This record gives sequence, C-alpha cells and structure tokens, in this order.
Amino acid sequence: MSLPELDQRDDDELIETILAAAGRRDLVAMAVAAAEVSEMTRNWATHIPWDEFGSLDESTLGEVVADLTQMWEPVDLQVDADEEYALDKNAYDFYRPAGRNLMTRTEEFYGWVEARRRTETWQYSRTLEAAPSSVAQITNDIGRRTRGINFNSQDYLSFNTHPAIREAATKAMRDYGPHSAGSPMVLGNTRISDELEASLGELVRADQVTLFPTGWAAGFGAMAGLVRQEDHVLIDRLAHSCLQQGARATTRNVVRYEHLNVDAVRRHLVDIRRRDSRNGILVVTDGLFSVDADWPDLVTLQRVCREHDATLLVDVAHDLGSMGPGGTGVLGMQHVLGDIDIVMGAFSKTFCSNGGFVASASPALKQYLKMFGGSHMFSNALSPVQTAVVLEASKIIRSAEGDFLRSRLHTAVTALREELTGYGLTCMGEPSPIVPLLIGNEKLARIANRLLFDRGVLAFMVEFPVTPTGSSRFRLQVQANHEPDEARAAAKIIADAIADARTYLSSAFGSTER
Amino acid sequence: MPRYDAIVIGARCAGASTGMLLARQGYRVLVVDRSSFPSDVISTHFLWPHGTSYLNRWSLLDQVLAVTPAHTEVTFVNDGIPLTGSVPDDLLRAYFRDWHGDDSGVVRSYASIRRHVLDQILVEAASKAGAEVRTNFAVRELIIEGDQVVGVRGRDSDGQLVEERARIVIGADGRNSFVARSLGLPKFDERPRCTFAYWSYYSGFDLGPAQLHRRGRLACAVAPTNHDQNMVLVWGPSEWSREFRRDVPGNLQRALDFVSPDLGEVVRTQGVRAERIYGTLDQSAFLRPLAGPGWVLVGDAESAKDQCTAIGMTHAFRGAELVADALGRWLSGDVSLNEAMASYEGRRRSQNAAAYYDYVCTLAEMRPYRHDELQLFVALRGNQQEIDRFVATHADVAPVSEFFQASNLLLLNDAAKETSAGYPVFEDFPATARMYQQNLFA
Repeated sequence: MSLPELDQRDDDELIETILAAAGRRDLVAMAVAAAEVSEMTRNWATHIPWDEFGSLDESTLGEVVADLTQMWEPVDLQVDADEEYALDKNAYDFYRPAGRNLMTRTEEFYGWVEARRRTETWQYSRTLEAAPSSVAQITNDIGRRTRGINFNSQDYLSFNTHPAIREAATKAMRDYGPHSAGSPMVLGNTRISDELEASLGELVRADQVTLFPTGWAAGFGAMAGLVRQEDHVLIDRLAHSCLQQGARATTRNVVRYEHLNVDAVRRHLVDIRRRDSRNGILVVTDGLFSVDADWPDLVTLQRVCREHDATLLVDVAHDLGSMGPGGTGVLGMQHVLGDIDIVMGAFSKTFCSNGGFVASASPALKQYLKMFGGSHMFSNALSPVQTAVVLEASKIIRSAEGDFLRSRLHTAVTALREELTGYGLTCMGEPSPIVPLLIGNEKLARIANRLLFDRGVLAFMVEFPVTPTGSSRFRLQVQANHEPDEARAAAKIIADAIADARTYLSSAFGSTER
Repeated sequence: MPRYDAIVIGARCAGASTGMLLARQGYRVLVVDRSSFPSDVISTHFLWPHGTSYLNRWSLLDQVLAVTPAHTEVTFVNDGIPLTGSVPDDLLRAYFRDWHGDDSGVVRSYASIRRHVLDQILVEAASKAGAEVRTNFAVRELIIEGDQVVGVRGRDSDGQLVEERARIVIGADGRNSFVARSLGLPKFDERPRCTFAYWSYYSGFDLGPAQLHRRGRLACAVAPTNHDQNMVLVWGPSEWSREFRRDVPGNLQRALDFVSPDLGEVVRTQGVRAERIYGTLDQSAFLRPLAGPGWVLVGDAESAKDQCTAIGMTHAFRGAELVADALGRWLSGDVSLNEAMASYEGRRRSQNAAAYYDYVCTLAEMRPYRHDELQLFVALRGNQQEIDRFVATHADVAPVSEFFQASNLLLLNDAAKETSAGYPVFEDFPATARMYQQNLFA
C-alpha cells in the first residue's frame, strides 16, 4: 500500500470544507474534498456515501450533513447536573480529600451527599416511625414517609415484637434500671450477664465467652487483642468491615484471600510459614456472609489452619440463631460446633439487641481478650435490658419455638427467592435470612431504589464500599413474620422497579455476574 | 438450504476473525467487506496481552510479530506519578479460563499494529481457513423474509448486483454498522461524553515500551508500531475539540508539552512525521441489541467505547471467539439459536462488562484526576503486584470489582511505601485543579 502523503490536508479541514460546501449546495466542491479524505476516515465512517457526493438528492444531502455533523461536532449535553453528579460517584471517591484543614476538606463529600439527597438516591439514614415488623412505616432522610413490606430491618426471628422478649426487657428495667454504669471489667455486669455467657457458650459449644457492647467491638476487639505487629492476618476478601479494620489496625502483614477459597488459604499459609516460623497467623472469615449469603467450608478451613499453626476466627453474626439445627448456624450445619478456635458474633441480627461476643474453649484467651481487646475493657457494659433480651432470645432460639420460627423464616425465604428467580433476577448465595438480589451497576441500583421507595417495599440497597464496584444489590433481610404471599408480592414490585429503572436509564446490561 | 451457513459483513478485527473461526469449524462462510486489503481505518490499533494471546491461539501471532514490535511493560504517568507494570500471567490465564474455558496460547506482550498490517493478515487467515472472502463488496440491503434476515444484496467488485443467503447474517461492520442501521436498531446505555483524539506516525526516536501520560484533562501516549515508527496520540475532552482544531499540528505539540514536557521535547526535536495528522471525536459509547431473527452483531457494531483504554480490537477478538463458539454450537445442532445467543448475551451484557463499560466511559470524560485517585497512584508505587493488577484491570483482564474494592483500596493505602511529598501536584492541589479546568487551546 502507498503510505499517504504527509502534506495532504487533515480530515478536519476537509470535513469542514464539505459541510461548508453542503451549506451552499455545492455538490462538486463536496465531491472534490471527499476524494481527499483519508482512507482511515472513509473506512471508519462507512455510513457516509463518500464517493457519491456529486449526485446527492436533497434528502440524502440532509442525511449526510446530519451524519457528518454528528461525527464531527462535540455534543451539547442537556443533563440534570445534580442527578448526574449524584449517580456518577461513589463514596470512596472522597476517601482521600485534599487540603490541610481536616474540617473544611469534608465539604466536597458533603456536596455529593446533598446531591444524592436532593435526587432521592441516598439510601442511608432512613428512620422508623414504629416497631419494624414484616411491614414498617419509615421516613427517608429528606422527611418523606412511606410504608411497605419490610426487608430493611435485621430481626430474623421477629423477636422485636415477641411478648417474652419484651417482658424480659421490662423485667430487667425493673430489676436493674436502664444503665449498666461501668465497664464489664469494673462493675458493669449483672448476674444475668454471667447467665448470658453460659447460654451462649452452650449454643456455640465453646464455654469461654466474653461480651462486647456491639458486634463491631467484638470483631475489632478480638483482633486488636490477639494480633501483634509481626503477626499475620489472612482474611476473606469479603469479611465484615470490623474484621477488615481490625486487620489493618493490628499488622501490615495482611493478605486478603479470594472469597471462600480454602486452597488459597492453604497456599498463603505455606508461603507465610516458609518465611516465618515464629509469629502467629490469624485466619478470619464470616460464617454466613452478609451481602453474598454464602459460607466457607469450615471443616477444611479449620484443618488447614491447624496444619500450619494458624488460628481460625469465624464471625457468625448473621447465621447464629437464624439457621442450622437448634439455631447453631453454619457451625451446626457443618458439624463443627466446639471445633472452631474462636467464634465471634453479634446480637443485632437475630438476638434482638446491640452487642456481640467472642467465644472459645480457652479461659486464658478469654482473660487475655478482656484485658487487651480494648473495646471490652474500655466500653460501658451491655445495658441490663440488652443483656436480658439477648438471654431470653438465646433461650427461645434453642427451644422448639426457635425451630418453628426458623421454619417459618425458611418458608418465606424460599418463596421470595423462587419468585425473584422466576422474574429472571439473580438471587446470590444460598437460602438464608439474607437474600442478596444482584443489580450490578450502581446507577441502576440507585434509580431502582428510588422507585421502590414509593411502591410499598422497603429494601436496603448496598453498593460500594459495602460491595465491590459494579456489584451493587438489594440486600433483602427476611423475618419469621413474613408471610410467603407477602414475599411474593414484594418480589413482583421489586422486579418491576428494576425493569423501570433499566428503561429510565435506557440500559441493556443484564444481571448475570460475568 | 441456503448456500452459506453464515455471512459476515465486515472483514476486520471482529468480522475476519469470526469468519475464520467458523470456517475452521467446517462451516460454509462468506465474508464481505467494502474495502480491498491492505486497508487502513481509524483505530488506536493497540492489542493488550489478551488481544495478542487471541492471535496466538489462532496461530497468527508469529506472522504479526515478524513485522511488529511487542513489549510486556507499560508505563502510566499520571500527573507526574509514574507506574510501570505488566499484565501478569496468572490473571491472563484466569481470564481465558473464565471467558473461553481454556487458557492455551497465553502471551504477556502487547503490540501496536497498524490496521493495514493486521487486517490483511486476518483476511488472509479467514480465506486460508476456508471462508470465501469477497472484498470491494458493498452491501446494499439485507434480505428480510417475514421478520427473518436471510441474506444480503450487494454490489460485487465488478459492479454486479448479487444476492447471497445464509442461515445467519453477522454484522461485524463497526460502530457505524450498516446492519444495525438497516435494522433500525436502537442504542442503549449511550454515553455522549467522550474524548477527541489526534495522532500521527513518527520516526526518529525509540523510547522502548509504550508510555501513557495524563495531566489534568489531557493525555498522550506513544507506542512503537510498524515500519520503525511510533504512534503519537493526544486526547482530551471532546468539548475542547473545536478550539483544538483551530491549529491541529500546533495544538498537538502544545498538548504533548503540557502533558509530558519530556515527550514533547523528543517529538519536537527528534520526531519526523510520516503521515498527515488523523483525528476523531466520533467515540461516544453505546450498546446495541446483540441478536435477533437471523442476525447477530459482534465487535464495535454491538458495543462501541471510547479509545481511551485502547481496548476495542481486543474486545473484538474476544467477541469473535465468543460468537463463533456460540454459533458453532447452534450450527452443529447442539443448542437452539436462542440458547446460543442467550449465552453470548449473558457474557457480553454481564455485570463485569457493565462495570468495565462504566470504567471506560468515566475515564473518557477526561475529568482531572481527583486527589484520592492521585494518592492511590502514589500508594501503588513500589507495590509491583498491585501495579500489575491495576494494569490488568485497566486493560479489562481482571474485573474492575476486584481491584476497586474498599478493603483492597484501604490495604493499598496502608501498604504505601511512598508519600505524596515528592510530587508537586499535591502542592496547593485546589489551585492546580482549577487550572486544569481551563481549556488549554482556548
């Protein structure tokens, strides 16, 4: 091929010439300029009849002018700047603000939050108007109210409206008052705190239990208590934030392994032990993962840990009480009760209260964590009311009524998953109180979430940084009080909202993951 | 029974490859293109390592590399923060296993290949595989019976009007696809904001592996290509293009000097330009429906994106392998056409695909890098494994979601070996950010 001459006119100039000639209806000048247009551009713009300019009729001429103009002129965008800004960014775009004034440099993030709020795409900070049951009445953060089938609360066995739970709370209030008035290391605990530790110890078959004021404090405290600078942490990429932050706070030797991949854990352990025979390794995973609804093979994971002198910590916040034989969660389902090094959990999903715990078979570990966990010693203890509620919950969980509530929960979960799947949507993970409905694209999720608000379903949309970018979803949290029909009705509303959001954004992307 | 199993319209990256792969499976394939080859077309003509790997899987890479330089390392310089890395072997293998079920033929090098070189090789390969290739063939209309596309009418190289029929018509005819236009297909997920790009070819210097520079709202790249030349490319937000066009050669140099004074100096003092300067801003992104009765789209015809990550040809190859595999299963009678197309669509319209589409479209807006992004680049310095993963993510080898994940970003931050102290861009960042909003060419 003969390379084009260096001194030929640029296509810019030529197309400008063509458009000017078209304005004068000078077809000859158009054809002359077209002959000079580069082969590159002619082969790119195959829809332009470059060789036929000399004989264009009026309507074809109009099309040519329109097509060339579209190709050649930058678009003037008419957009809702607020909505575009709101939909376009994500929270971590603001993680490293510029400037040396710690206070003023938060303004940029605030501007974005305000845009999200104005466009009603801010899913956070909704408030309840009454006790959240299978239906709830809520207000969003700009004061608009709605009422709907509630998948936005975490109360898997619907204990918040359970008479025995409420009675336990009332009794504790009468007996001890609302305040624990001190650290559990000083004088913050009551007799029922000991009872609760024993009850939890029986449930997870690890009798050395330490209570923490929140689940977050339990996860973070366990890691801060155990791991030192030269130690190693191997953590599932999707483990809960309190554990990720615990890892970061304690050591720089952190490996985030591929979600659920026990082989990867084994490889990393071999690699670490080859380099370091002196220091500790903590392997950290969730039981039921809170936005993916799946769980690891704990039998193999614990065995692999022991083979390399690593310690396993499992966070059972979402599954303990709500799943498994007798409410024993993923541990019971995999027959590893009493066999996991360290079990950590939170009460806020099934046990109807703030709070968390760490359990093991070791009295030494217990005393050590109480002293060095930070969030145990240097926080006020769980309040007596909270303690009593969790204690009562743990009793119901282990009773026949617990089995009944779990079976109701499971029925509602199955109805919801089947109906959603029937609409061609993707429910991630396994049947569990968490039904993650994959949306993917953040813009789509934010618009679907906005539509859903007024249509009678309350659902929490999770996006980056809770999920990886491009993998946002509705996290539907089911309760024992949900009727299967309610779940099915909600599924239809959700499916319609997603379809309408896709139309609104004119998007052709589907919901398969890869 | 129609004469052909498949007619492919377009004989470039998507079309010739699809035709070749179907012919190699033993199907009767007609490939047509309005051009005669060798032939050039507007293109960033860059193949990332998975792109060259496809050529290797098809046994065409040696032929390409005989005349084309290839490298594995690439350097990104963002506001003066350099990162040099390459796409790692394990991520490439994982990519091929995930997309195509086998990881044979993986190579780690990328290459910048002129289209008059590459397309010719592809067309010959299609022909050699047994496909009938007719060049200088202008399709005039699709033959539609009922709602079914059954063939094409067109003008042959000797000017004869001819009619050909096939079980499927494959539109591989680029972003301005004739097939899509004839069928009146809508566009989805349109992103009108894109870059303008201007480039040409220079001899007189050899800078080794490719470099990509960003500063403010402008970028430039230099990549060694065929004929011992370098492609030198500048790009910026399309809304600055009117001003840029007032003096294309002057502004091309001005952009180089602004984005990378070193590169600007090399091009000005040593560079000998061999061709005219080319340019385009016809790069807004969109999706079209993938398939319908008797037709399917592949390559830019089904989804076009801005040039800013130089991924178009690699995606065209990927699409070719996907669609040839899907159609092969249908033509062999294993699955229905609907099932075959559903599997193709599932992959092309997946969440991962959406996330990468967003990544490209956001980059294409050419907003200045934010403070947190630049800090991330600083944090990556010295962390080779994560730099490599960043390169792989940028090139759509590894999923966007796995790099841009909160706990990963926090860990990168914590593992930082350098601070921002050595980089002037962080000095009075707000003033710099304001300066970046000024149109350099106004």
